[in-house]
Amino acid sequence: MRTVKAVGTVRAVGTVGATSAVWAVARAAVRRRKLQTGVIGVVVLVSTMTIVVALGLLDAASAPFDRAFAQQRGSQVTASFDAGRVSAAQLAATGHASGVTAVAGPFPEALATLDRTVVTHVPGPVTVVGRAGPGGSVDRVNLWAGRWAAGPGEVVFSSPPGILGEGTHAALGRQVVLSGVRFTVVGLASSVSESADAWVAPDRIAALHPESVQMLYRFAHAGTDAEVAADVRAVADAVPRGALTASESYLSLERRSESSPNAFVPFLMVFGILGLLVAVLIVGNVVSGAVVSGFRHIGMLKALGFTPNQVVAVYLVMVSAPALVGCALGVVLGDLTEQPLMEQLLGNGITGAYLADSVGLSAWVDIVALLGVPTLVLLAALAPSLRARGLPAARAVSAGSVQRGGRALRIQRALTGSRLPRSVSLGLGLPFARPGRSALTLAAVVLGVTTVTFSTGLAATVTAFGDAAEGGGAYQVVVNAGRADVGTTPPTHTDPQIQALLAALPGATQVTPSAYVPVRLAGAAQGLTLTAYRGTSSDLGTMVVRGRWFDGPGEVVVTPGFLNLHGLSVGDRLTLRTAGREERVTVVGESLSGDPDYLSTDWTTATALAPGVTGRQYLVKLAPGTSVDAYQRAVRAADPGLHPSAKETVNAASVTAVGSASVLTLLLGAVAALGVFNTVVLNTRERRRDLGVLKSIGMTPRQVTAMTVVSMAALGLVGGVVGVPLGVLAHALVLPLTGRGGGIDFPPSMRDVWHPAGLVLLVLSGVALAALGAFVPSRAAARLTIARVLHNE
Amino acid sequence: MRLEDVRKEYGDATALDGVSLEIRSGEAVAVMGPSGCGKSTLLNMVAGLDRPSSGRVVVHGDDLTGLDETGLALFRRRRIGMVFQFFNLLDDLSALDNVALAAQLTGTPARQARRRAQELLDELGIADRRNAYPAVLSGGERQRVAVARALMNRPALLLADEPTGALDSHAGEQVMDLLLDLNQIGQTLLLVTHDRRLASRCANRVVDLADGRVVGERSLERAG
Repeated sequence: MRTVKAVGTVRAVGTVGATSAVWAVARAAVRRRKLQTGVIGVVVLVSTMTIVVALGLLDAASAPFDRAFAQQRGSQVTASFDAGRVSAAQLAATGHASGVTAVAGPFPEALATLDRTVVTHVPGPVTVVGRAGPGGSVDRVNLWAGRWAAGPGEVVFSSPPGILGEGTHAALGRQVVLSGVRFTVVGLASSVSESADAWVAPDRIAALHPESVQMLYRFAHAGTDAEVAADVRAVADAVPRGALTASESYLSLERRSESSPNAFVPFLMVFGILGLLVAVLIVGNVVSGAVVSGFRHIGMLKALGFTPNQVVAVYLVMVSAPALVGCALGVVLGDLTEQPLMEQLLGNGITGAYLADSVGLSAWVDIVALLGVPTLVLLAALAPSLRARGLPAARAVSAGSVQRGGRALRIQRALTGSRLPRSVSLGLGLPFARPGRSALTLAAVVLGVTTVTFSTGLAATVTAFGDAAEGGGAYQVVVNAGRADVGTTPPTHTDPQIQALLAALPGATQVTPSAYVPVRLAGAAQGLTLTAYRGTSSDLGTMVVRGRWFDGPGEVVVTPGFLNLHGLSVGDRLTLRTAGREERVTVVGESLSGDPDYLSTDWTTATALAPGVTGRQYLVKLAPGTSVDAYQRAVRAADPGLHPSAKETVNAASVTAVGSASVLTLLLGAVAALGVFNTVVLNTRERRRDLGVLKSIGMTPRQVTAMTVVSMAALGLVGGVVGVPLGVLAHALVLPLTGRGGGIDFPPSMRDVWHPAGLVLLVLSGVALAALGAFVPSRAAARLTIARVLHNE
Repeated sequence: MRLEDVRKEYGDATALDGVSLEIRSGEAVAVMGPSGCGKSTLLNMVAGLDRPSSGRVVVHGDDLTGLDETGLALFRRRRIGMVFQFFNLLDDLSALDNVALAAQLTGTPARQARRRAQELLDELGIADRRNAYPAVLSGGERQRVAVARALMNRPALLLADEPTGALDSHAGEQVMDLLLDLNQIGQTLLLVTHDRRLASRCANRVVDLADGRVVGERSLERAG
């Protein structure tokens, strides 16, 4: 027993000593191989950053509505009941109807008339609900400014955060009149379920004469329209016949959110996938390369008495140390980059703002990155480490100076006989010496070029779209008539006088008044806005992709989102309603893009629905050469109640998209170039002797640089040839996805953005990417001290 | 070739300490001395592989101390042929292509370079191994290929650093014969070796180095 114990003690001491030796050798390797340590750290950092941004974007882009809806425990069915035909007990009983899992209400509901603009709400009908607070089991409203309405005369308006409009916080404290009753705005809140336009305390809604009661439901099964319809029937069956007057499914809200003009989600997904692939490839290449380049060192360790497992441990520690630091920093930097990017990209449009409000940084993304990247690093290091583990010490020591495979030699031989300068032909043969490493590098370059190509196509399309969305410079000045209800000075002139005044000012060639009329579509609960133009409007730059611009009363031009949302197409007829009036109109055209709740029509149609409607905005065309600033000064001088502004020529959403795509492209390009950099560093290290030989027989530093750069530029060229078609394909596949969403239907002129010269340049971008990554280490190779290299054999 | 008071220091260590030496065209000079005496450093200075800390190195009229890296590369290409102890052939190239490479770097067309390489391999008796790769050649064959490569651009000076050091006695004899033959047809030789047999066989002058200094110089009657 004593002997056994003694042996055990020796083993334990040996293990402790071995652990210490492993740690000491690994630490020394990390310190000594500063360049390799730095490359691993930087590559893992940038890759982790890319992964965090890419996964975050994928997460946000994949189901923004679902995420926001889940966070707020949104109402799957928002139901209105006739208050006169149903009792509180009967409403409470609906909570036990088949399939109901959660219920909120009853909340008294009134349709009131708002007298002035409050954030996104324009004067007209608004739905006001009496509710005690923003919380509850269903529809947990996000009260993001002020407080909830509690006392008499207090109201909370719905408003998405981030919609600046007239200034959200300026709305707090504003006096408004709802159906003749004065209220003070005390809070702003957002509901992804869009359960109300405004909320008051339940005991204060009586003043608005509520005629209906709102109930909010969640169900066990509500994934499809059919299931929701069955759920609604179950609720309707629990109350007297006809008591349920209206219901809205969250599925229609979801479709509305998808049809909002947020064209960037599919693009983000492509960037996300590309980012993930590039990062994984490069980390694998860098880490496995670091282990392979250390084979000789591994042999020495074995010769010293390190066991195979200890050798593996040394190498895993060696690559893990910088990788862990890079990973941690990458997660932090990725989070810092991701948040503003998502806010910018998802925050377009009103629906988008509601979603951006709810879409935050996902903890799972950070966790996946923090666990996944080190695991990836370990796996990438493990395969070659295990190979090194099994190598006899003598072979490991001689690794790197053995003859290479037959294919590489055949290719090198074929190149030798070519007419190319020898430094070039030698460079072209280099990638074949390490085909596995070259393949990974090539794949990274291919994805880099695909990203650049896709991004270039995206920029061209989005810029063309932005130009079209801003009217292509059809008019130069927008003049808004001031309004006391939003706190701006009203004009002293009447609507016709303003039009005449603006037309008479120097430089004006055309003045088109426009107005907004709140309407409802017969058979739909959602409110719409009719944009009416008086006089010539067909030349104001709105691009019509199907049909034509309206040219008479009873005709409307709508957005792709509107058609998609309501299942209509050009040529269909629909009925628009305002209080006590209705008009039958024909859809004669579909515009390029726009809010699904906006329709364009002529002045006659608008006045038929809203007699007395007056111009609120005047679109002014100026003669060529007229100073926009001078015209604006003249407008202000003519009537202080007129507020001119230069027409935006740059579409903010397009700029955001192009800017974000550029950031992501730079990030991915940098990772791909780092991959090339690493490959050249490894190749140079492995071929130090060859470089020394070549220099000893007269290869100049420039020829060494050329040979090394050419070796990677060749990969870059192949990467370009493969990557450009992939990028073009991705662009072609993604554009229809945005169209399918209904937000934007890009016409052929915006889809066909490729030109032969541009494509050649894109192919060359692969060469540039590779040459860029190769240049610095190739210069280092050119400066290699020959004497030291050759005499170290 | 002329070395004038050449010093080379690596930090605190002095590898060459005021070496002056002249080699005339057609001579075969062996530099001898114990390990660490500065033989290889001297050879590196002459080949332009390293720069002296002070002093001048003039080869065939070129003052190497005034040349930049590119100038040194062109100098090596045109004036110098080098043979190393461990051959230093490129593993990825066949014997023929290793030899042709030196000419191709000067811009000689591939076909012409290979023709000349073929002639050299023929002269050195290894033409039948022209398509073999270094990994399958014997030590003597590799060194013959290395010599052929060194001669490819008709150098003014052939430098050899322990050319027989990694060879067995038979292969060593063959290389010695080869170097002797070359010198006899006019090739200037500078050998670095501690092999007295090689020196006495191939050189007609021996320079002894110790601690980085020339400590002796003598003419030889060649044994061969």
